[in-house]
Amino acid sequence: MRVYLRYAVRETLANLWRNRMMTIAAVLTVAVSLSLVGAALLLKQSAAQASAQWQQGTRVTVWMQPTASASEVANVKSQLASLPIVKDCVFYSQAQDYKEAQHILPQSEWSVLTVADVPSSFRCVPTVPSNAFVVVSTFKNQPGVYNVTAPEQQIRQMNSAIRILQIVFLALAGVLLLSATVLILNTIRMAIFARRREVSVMKLVGATNWFIRIPYITEGFIQGLLGSLVAVAAVTALHTWYPLHNEFQLNATALLGTNLVVLVVGVVIGSVGSALAIRRFLDV
Amino acid sequence: MIRFENVSKTYKNGTPALKDVSLDIEKGEFVFLVGASGSGKTTFLRLLLREELPDRGRILEAGRDISELSKWRVPYLRRNIGCVFQDFRLLPNKSVFENVAFALEVIGRPRSTIESQVPQILELVGLSEKAKNLPGELSGGEQQRVAVARAFVNRPLILLADEPTGNLDPTNSESIMALLERINRTGTTVVMATHDKALVDRMRRRVIELDHGEMVRDQVRGVYGIDEPAEIR
Repeated sequence: MRVYLRYAVRETLANLWRNRMMTIAAVLTVAVSLSLVGAALLLKQSAAQASAQWQQGTRVTVWMQPTASASEVANVKSQLASLPIVKDCVFYSQAQDYKEAQHILPQSEWSVLTVADVPSSFRCVPTVPSNAFVVVSTFKNQPGVYNVTAPEQQIRQMNSAIRILQIVFLALAGVLLLSATVLILNTIRMAIFARRREVSVMKLVGATNWFIRIPYITEGFIQGLLGSLVAVAAVTALHTWYPLHNEFQLNATALLGTNLVVLVVGVVIGSVGSALAIRRFLDV
Repeated sequence: MIRFENVSKTYKNGTPALKDVSLDIEKGEFVFLVGASGSGKTTFLRLLLREELPDRGRILEAGRDISELSKWRVPYLRRNIGCVFQDFRLLPNKSVFENVAFALEVIGRPRSTIESQVPQILELVGLSEKAKNLPGELSGGEQQRVAVARAFVNRPLILLADEPTGNLDPTNSESIMALLERINRTGTTVVMATHDKALVDRMRRRVIELDHGEMVRDQVRGVYGIDEPAEIR
């Protein structure tokens, strides 16, 4: 067994080195395709998490005209209070909204505003997220109301955009994974071709089939593994450094899961590539 | 040791390679296999190695029907059969020592066995001095001796030689023959396919002649040609 391990390791490394250009091509293709897979997975999880958070705290904001009279504000307030589909309502005065605008807007924009320009608002949470639309339609044309906004629509739009992006990523990754498999198959084929004399002698003196095959299997396995390790680094870097708004930020478990998928897919691709090459080109 | 029972083999393109061949080769025998090119000699050897399966009939080696051997056991069968070819089939980028060691290494023999067996066998074939040379640096005769060493290092029960002297001059042919005889004297069964008339005539060993796949002659102490008087078995 020890003899064999040493033999297998030596043969595998020699094969990898002999075909280093092909190996690099195969590893990079695996890396790029798996990075796309990883990015698509992260994107999907981020989007799912963000929309879950938003749904929980879906808010409807009724913006009053900055010029709305006190009676108009009071009227809206009492209507909101009597509406059964609205749970909580908090009134933000013009001064409060002005203060918030200072936080949200860039200085160049809020510096031209005065407290009198800023609308006061009611921030309400509907009992069920879909009720947000009822609130929108009820208050939109009320006197003194400037606008009613609900994030639901934006969430839906964003979700469909993310879904399309994800499909594009996965389709690209699928094509690349296929070419990675073919590239690995080809490197193994070249390795087998370079060693055809050795293989014929091995068969002649009675080396077992697995003895002959294993160095080629491990070669493909290693190519897949190297590629997926590069992809894991890329995915982790993306996760760590890409500036995402809080709602999108994933925890370490999600990252770990994604990386695990990337690793497994890489190893499977490598093994499948070499298995195909062995079936077709290694006559044992 | 080797028994053919009504063995026939036809290749896919329709050429018959062996027709109803039956024979027995005892342990420790030295047998020449003669016949024109295409007479079935190589098929005979390939059947023994189970590189081919017979269409009809049975082949027994050491009492076992090799057609019934499962695929994964074939390598173990081959460990009992050494092979030498006309074109040597050495690995050009490995030294003489490594070429012989390779045969032990790939059947999983430990380093210590290799270290003790290889020098011993190189001594037997008279190439101890050239252990570190590459095959390209040796003469044809020396290369064939390396091939014999590789075939015999695992002490097989049977040694098959397919025209082992085909590429060699008479002097080198002599030394290879002497080597095969020595190996035969250790109890190894030797089957040698050859075209070398002078050699067969001089050795006076058992001769099996094939012609278009049929066994036309089996003589105990035979000669190459049938025009000479010989004891018919």
